[in-house]
Amino acid sequence: MRIVYALVLIAGLAAVIVDHLASPSSARAVSPEDFAGACAPCGAPCPSVQKK
Amino acid sequence: MTTTTLGTSASSLPRLDWPFLIAAVLGTAVLVTLVALDGQPASAALLMLGFALGIAFFKAEFSFTAAWRRFLVKGEAGGLLAALLLIAVAAIVIVPVAALVPGFGGAIAPIGPSLVIGAFVFGIGMQLANGCGSGTLYTAGGGSGRMLIALALFISGSVIGSLHLPAFLAFGGVDPILAANYFGPWGGLAVTLASIAAVAIAIALIARARGATFAPRPLLIGGAIAIGLISIGVFLAGHHPWSVTFGFTVWGAKLAALAGFDFSQAEFWQWPGPKRALAESILSDTSSLTDLGMLLGAMAAAAASKPFARTAWPPARSLLAAAIGGLLMGWGARIGFGCNIGAFVGGVASGSLHGWVWFAAALGGCAIGIRLRPLFGLSRE
Repeated sequence: MRIVYALVLIAGLAAVIVDHLASPSSARAVSPEDFAGACAPCGAPCPSVQKK
Repeated sequence: MTTTTLGTSASSLPRLDWPFLIAAVLGTAVLVTLVALDGQPASAALLMLGFALGIAFFKAEFSFTAAWRRFLVKGEAGGLLAALLLIAVAAIVIVPVAALVPGFGGAIAPIGPSLVIGAFVFGIGMQLANGCGSGTLYTAGGGSGRMLIALALFISGSVIGSLHLPAFLAFGGVDPILAANYFGPWGGLAVTLASIAAVAIAIALIARARGATFAPRPLLIGGAIAIGLISIGVFLAGHHPWSVTFGFTVWGAKLAALAGFDFSQAEFWQWPGPKRALAESILSDTSSLTDLGMLLGAMAAAAASKPFARTAWPPARSLLAAAIGGLLMGWGARIGFGCNIGAFVGGVASGSLHGWVWFAAALGGCAIGIRLRPLFGLSRE
């Protein structure tokens, strides 16, 4: 199991670092709730907005 | 914690597992450096707070899943009451600050079929996997190979759930109901704390009627206060309550996109928040930051106390339960707007009614999940 963990750790950290270096970054870390119209932690719209 | 495989009988081995301890600390330091170089102190803080959460959960063995199961099966309420204490601690800051300070907001969600169905399915999954969102993170980080599988399927399930969520939202529902909107910041806080106290009293009375204990162990009380205080830190750094599962959805979607899956026609991924999260760095997403920190924090705590991940893999049926449970939790978390942390802890601590609805539905799902556990060779207790 230790070998599996070591591989997962190395692959996971490498993926995060590559993703970070290859992708744009916001000025500040945000969550989907920061955006206008978000009604849930995942950014889903409110039912009242969906009905319109 | 109950049946997850963090323990070891290898008493002859050294207590400090240097390779994994160094890897966990070094990995965290690298990620903190990356965001610090981008001029993002709040992101660095979220990573370190996540690291602290991983340690706190691991050391306190704080488990929503086992606590809910003990309550449903035996009537024991100590773990459940400790969770309510955690929420009360967080609410003291979250309710007024979210209402009074521009840029801050509580964890809200619409109340409708999507919330109830998602939470119910999540409840089934958490008993099969033997861990919720935070539980999966800290036990996987802490060296349980079983929970590593649960985490992988949790991630997969949440991506599938993201594709289904718009259809479930079409069933309808009502907009979020926040105590502070009706009673003001301080009245909302009073109502929130009163609702927590009322539920705590009801739970204690049920425990007493069933002849079970309801006083939390001192370790759990300390853990609840520590985790509550750290979650306040997460709220102040991230401007929203701590959440876990959106990060999983982003990780899974990024991997799927790398494999060629096209999300451009998926409605969920066209909403502004998810669209930005998929396009930008994982380290720009608040929940990913605390998730990564928590994984590494739990790893550091485990490696600092015993040989890391030295246990054998559990039986295949147990692994199957972890896989199915993880898949159900991932799907349920996306349909039901989060897990025990984002929906229950964050929702109730924000004074949002959806948190209590999520709790009731997930508890119902847990009752089903507990009945299913013996099919996979897992104890009902």
